[in-house]
Amino acid sequence: MQVETARPVGRHLLEVRDLFVEFHTRDGEAKVINGVSYHLDPGETLAVLGESGSGKSVTAQAIMGILDMPPARIPSGQILYNGEDLLAMPEEKRRAIRGSEISMIFQDALSALNPVFSVGWQISETLRVRTGMSKADALKRAAELMDLVKIPAAKARIKDYPHQFSGGMRQRVMIAMALAMDPKVLIADEPTTALDVTVQAQIMDLLADLRRDLNMGMILITHDLGVVADVADRIAVMYAGRIIEHADVHAIYKQPAHPYTEGLISSIPRLNSKGQELATIKGLPPNLMRLPSGCKYHPRCPYMQQPICTDVVPPALDLGGGRTSACHFAKEMLDGQLHR
Amino acid sequence: MFRYLVRRLLQMILVFVATTFIVYSLMYATGGDPIQALAGERPVSPTQRAQLIREYGLDQPFLVRYWNYLSGLLQGDFGKSLTGREVSDIIAQALPPTIQLAAIAIVTTIALGVTVGIIAAIRRGGWFDNATLVFTLIIIGIPIVVLAPLAQLIFTIKIPIFPTTATSGDLYALLLPGIILGALSVATAMRLTRASFTENQRSDYVRTARSKGLSKRRVVGVHVLRNSLIPIITFLGIELGALMAGAIVTEGVFNVPGVGFNLFRALRTEDAPLVVGLVSVLVIIFLVANLIVDLLYAVLDPRIRYE
Repeated sequence: MQVETARPVGRHLLEVRDLFVEFHTRDGEAKVINGVSYHLDPGETLAVLGESGSGKSVTAQAIMGILDMPPARIPSGQILYNGEDLLAMPEEKRRAIRGSEISMIFQDALSALNPVFSVGWQISETLRVRTGMSKADALKRAAELMDLVKIPAAKARIKDYPHQFSGGMRQRVMIAMALAMDPKVLIADEPTTALDVTVQAQIMDLLADLRRDLNMGMILITHDLGVVADVADRIAVMYAGRIIEHADVHAIYKQPAHPYTEGLISSIPRLNSKGQELATIKGLPPNLMRLPSGCKYHPRCPYMQQPICTDVVPPALDLGGGRTSACHFAKEMLDGQLHR
Repeated sequence: MFRYLVRRLLQMILVFVATTFIVYSLMYATGGDPIQALAGERPVSPTQRAQLIREYGLDQPFLVRYWNYLSGLLQGDFGKSLTGREVSDIIAQALPPTIQLAAIAIVTTIALGVTVGIIAAIRRGGWFDNATLVFTLIIIGIPIVVLAPLAQLIFTIKIPIFPTTATSGDLYALLLPGIILGALSVATAMRLTRASFTENQRSDYVRTARSKGLSKRRVVGVHVLRNSLIPIITFLGIELGALMAGAIVTEGVFNVPGVGFNLFRALRTEDAPLVVGLVSVLVIIFLVANLIVDLLYAVLDPRIRYE
């Protein structure tokens, strides 16, 4: 399945095309990504949504080229950056893009930062190593970057170590590090999951501001629908290594076109549902070693109809306006005609 | 930091007093006759004996005698060996070969153990990794009492590239015993380095470093190495102390006139003042090595702060 394949090559800043990723494990092949396609343009935010194991982080790591291969393998697919296929590039050329054109921030900043180097050292490292900037200049720039991500008293804290910062400040350090080379694409992999709720909002605001001010394209990977609503332009919902729905953020909240998206949205706790049991999606995410036949979501789907759902893999239905859904009954869902 | 240092030094004094006390008590509890030992084979007349007992303070209570010994020690007076030589002279002669031996051993450990451990960790699961695993298991499995004479037989007699004994104490002669002494730590260092490196290679910060677009060489050589070195340096520091103290067998086999060799001889001849003196020196070396390791630890790992 592909999302918006009609556009010509090179139109998008970043485009993932029909990507497959497998992990070779002792127990067999785990098919982690099964034909993912999405794209990103400058200045926009694409939210990639899904449960753990849905393949959202693996796709991002494939874009970055930091998957451990082996055990991972990319049997097919393309990742086009400015029209050039990253997967077909020699490693040296790809490394020049990694961290400078496309950079990434990770979930847990405490373990993602090196514990034995000061934050100034870590932020300035990329500049020193890759642009040949002098140590003093690079540290000065590191202080500026720390200012940019609103770390108070940045200059004074440049020699501090990651463990001396609070969770939110550490995540800011990580963002500053990712911005060092003025990237065009910023991938944020669950940037707020490890943080307090109040700090989460601050970091999301900061990311949104930076994205706007620096005109970056941002891929926001999350499992938190609440985080997405304010920041994202488009949403791609992933399930079992596929994008099962892709739509404009407002459209998706108004009327989901896939039962899984509907399940996700209805499981957000609401104030007016006080006292009622929280809605959940029954069942567990599928085992990637033994994916179900037909639609991968059919064992958990309340609208499942035999035999079509159990036997036929639903194609990505184009619903117009850049919206797609990989559900046999997407049109019925949109029209509100689907009943349990 | 300063307060930590003061506290550590006070602790060291306590440990030093306690260990010397234990060794002192043990040596005097063996029940030998120090006067007869001093006189050797000749008979000692009762008047001579009484005079010597008074002279050496042997009529004093045990604790007073220990106190006298300790206060002498603090003034650099190690007392006299039963051979009549100053203990401090014997120590001064025995220390240099032992230090050289330990230095050769530790250099061997670093050059072989740490380097090979790093290569094994980088090429984990390959033939090199498996070969070194087998090799280290063999080395760890052979006790030094077998390894030392075996190496002596092979490399000094069958293939005479080294002198059989290192009595002269010159550096070349110390090379083989030094390497043999280091062999056991080589194996441990290899395993430790490999484990530490492997663990760090799997860390999240390695993924971050890679996503910064750094070369593989830099990710491994700077980010992974710096973190992996913390336990390795701790091991090496403590090992250095142990190597100096634990060279008794190696020094014995190769006739190296070092601390271990003298200690062994002193134990056999029940030369109590010499035993206590040598052990005191070893205790000091061990304590200083430990202190240096702990201070180094704080330098290497900023998460550790001594208050």
